Amino acid sequence: MLNKSTHTSLIIIIAAAVLLQTISAVQYYYTHNLLADELEKRAESEMTTKAVIVKNALNLAENSLNGHIWDMKRNIAYPDSMYNVEEWVLRSHPNLLGCGIAFVPDFYPEKGRLYEPYVYRQHGGQGQEVFVKKQVAGPDHDYTLSGFYKVTMKRNTTFWSYPYYDDITNSQIVTFCRPIHNEKKDIVAVFGLDIDVKWLGDTLNYRHIYPSSYNFLLTETGQLIAGPQHESDQKREEMEHIIRLINDSTVQKSLSNSGRSTVLPIEDSDGDKGLVFYANFKGNPKWQIALVCYDKEVYAKLNTMRWTTGILMIVGLLVLGLMISRFAKNDRKLHQANLEKERIGGELRVASQIQQNMLPQKELRVEGLELRGFLRPAKEVGGDLYDYFIRDEKLFFCIGDVSGKGAASAMMMAVAQTKFRDFSAHENNPARIMQNINVGCCQNNKTNMFVTMFIGVLDLPTGRLRYCDAGHDCPMIMAHGDWFMVDAKPNLPVGVFDDFTYSMQETQIEPNSTIFLYTDGLTEAKNNQHKQFGLERVENVLGVCTGLQPKAILEKITDAVHGFVKDAEQSDDLTMMAIRYTPQQYDCILSETLVIKNDVKEVTKFSEFMKSVLEKLDIEKSLSRQLRLAVEEAVVNVIDYAYPVGKKGEIEVQMMSDDKTLKTVIIDSGVAFDPTAKEKADTTLSAEDRQIGGLGILLVREIMDSVNYERINKQNILTLTKKYN
Amino acid sequence: MIMNAKLEEIDGKYVATLEGEMDTAAATEAEEVLKPLYTSDGKDVIIDCNGLEYIASSGLRILLSILKGAKANGSRVTLRGVNDDIKNVFKLTGFISIFEFE
Repeated sequence: MLNKSTHTSLIIIIAAAVLLQTISAVQYYYTHNLLADELEKRAESEMTTKAVIVKNALNLAENSLNGHIWDMKRNIAYPDSMYNVEEWVLRSHPNLLGCGIAFVPDFYPEKGRLYEPYVYRQHGGQGQEVFVKKQVAGPDHDYTLSGFYKVTMKRNTTFWSYPYYDDITNSQIVTFCRPIHNEKKDIVAVFGLDIDVKWLGDTLNYRHIYPSSYNFLLTETGQLIAGPQHESDQKREEMEHIIRLINDSTVQKSLSNSGRSTVLPIEDSDGDKGLVFYANFKGNPKWQIALVCYDKEVYAKLNTMRWTTGILMIVGLLVLGLMISRFAKNDRKLHQANLEKERIGGELRVASQIQQNMLPQKELRVEGLELRGFLRPAKEVGGDLYDYFIRDEKLFFCIGDVSGKGAASAMMMAVAQTKFRDFSAHENNPARIMQNINVGCCQNNKTNMFVTMFIGVLDLPTGRLRYCDAGHDCPMIMAHGDWFMVDAKPNLPVGVFDDFTYSMQETQIEPNSTIFLYTDGLTEAKNNQHKQFGLERVENVLGVCTGLQPKAILEKITDAVHGFVKDAEQSDDLTMMAIRYTPQQYDCILSETLVIKNDVKEVTKFSEFMKSVLEKLDIEKSLSRQLRLAVEEAVVNVIDYAYPVGKKGEIEVQMMSDDKTLKTVIIDSGVAFDPTAKEKADTTLSAEDRQIGGLGILLVREIMDSVNYERINKQNILTLTKKYN
Repeated sequence: MIMNAKLEEIDGKYVATLEGEMDTAAATEAEEVLKPLYTSDGKDVIIDCNGLEYIASSGLRILLSILKGAKANGSRVTLRGVNDDIKNVFKLTGFISIFEFE
């Protein structure tokens, strides 16, 4: 099954092939015609040239003879001197073969009836030439019967004879004949000059327009006079065949004397096609000259061109095919890459959404506290995090920055944030929370990513801030109109060594203070000149923000950063958090204290105390029963666990009210014990599976608005609050 | 005495009557009275709470122990006359779904 792109490629290649073939065919056709025209012109010119050459040779012979007429006539009285005249004629040109004078019968009575002195050239050894003199007339050779004599006598004019075989010289010859007259204009003799047709043939074929083309001469009746010296019989036969073609054609068309050549197609025994051009000589003798050319040579270049074009075309098509397939492949790859990119883009958008959803609400406003967070990742997903929540009148908050950015950082960030939430749910000590996050992040951390992190736990009733800084930028605190940096001991970043011990620090946050936390995306925000925003600029902006709410502070900082980086690409995730601490004044209208021993029997005493307090506050009966239950459970919990078994200790219970909120503070000096750190009992289990324990603290949490544990000065301080008015 | 607990056998059923306020201290005393119910002899148990005004988690633990003992032997535990405030405590702790109320 062809896929679409292969199909398209094939169509393109076929179209290209057809187009190229058409162009090639048209080009071939025109070039062929051009070459044919060219051939005709060349053939014409060749034959004209060759005719001139032949005529020159003939003229040379004619002139040699004519030049000695006078000598002949001067010595005509001496028959034997004719040999000398003939020898002089022959000596005028090396290609003249023989020369004879046939006298009319009885011209020299002393020589008998017939007399024909004849001289011919014979090649001796070592290039020597000998002129043989011979009286050739005799009883067996009556020249008066010969064609040359009879025709001369009859025409009484010079002419070239037909070719014939001469048995004296053993050569195929043609003879130039000239009648010799006496004073009375009577013919007294025929002067003949013989030339070897081989010479004419060689002269005619000393060079060719094409290697295997050749010329030959025909008489006006189509008899071969001279041609090339063919090496093979086959070639000779072919020439004779061509001569027959010419003669047939001449008979049919009756060759015109216009001087224009005629052309006939030929085909040799090997099937090679060609043309024969032939034309009449202008003037005498009325011979024809012919030129044979073969197509394979005439169109040799065309064929070379055709082959070259063909090969180039095939190569071109192959290259085209290759390119198309490469393009198609690349196109497919590109397409796939785009799909992949879209898919990843889509997944990143989802991931980004998930990450955004992991973040808490941007803003938190509760009594005594206002918090604002800001996080903008440099890419779709980021490695920065911030989180916060309130549990038991404590604000747990953190800010962190995973090394690097992008998807891998985002995963690490998710791990860190999840762990923060997990451990903070039942752990108040930020160092221990950090410790647990660290262990979690070290597990399978093959990419060696790490997280700088700051965790703070702000106790809202007391303003006590406990914190742990794992290599993160120190937060800043504004108190009484001045900003100062939190004194943070630099612990190792999270995710480096799983056995590292993190240490906790504490400080007191005054009412109306602001805590500002940030990641290095703020101080290291770069503009187009690669300059960093820097801590100094942060401090300068914060300097004018002392009276502002968290939201306004973050806006000011964001504006300042934008103004600085302008259109430069955001280089790192930018995260900030501002927390303003504004605790409410608590005006007591009632404050009572009970001190009991760590003995369950003391609960009776507590019950009386509790009832009297609730009565004084005039709280509705159902609610007062609930409040009594919650406080009793909390106190019993302390009785049971604060002191080791057998050790006696005291428990102080303070009850306070500002006419709106009941606040109970339970203080003991036992071992550190945080009841809020216990996991909540599962109330959905069946009777068989329900545990006997854990009910007390469950009730405390269910009934009270908040439960808060603090350990201060080796004392466990548990604060329960409940709004009742 | 703010709390009074007694255990009787009426018509082949154990009837435990709880009165007053069952805080943690009172619960330890009441437990002495109710302990026999922890190991059931197959009779159903009725816990009469008509006079019960307050109960702490230690009291709930006693009730849970009785229920566990009874269930192990296939007998039933029914709470009778539980006031709304106490029922609310049962709700908060999830006990409302494991006890039967009359």
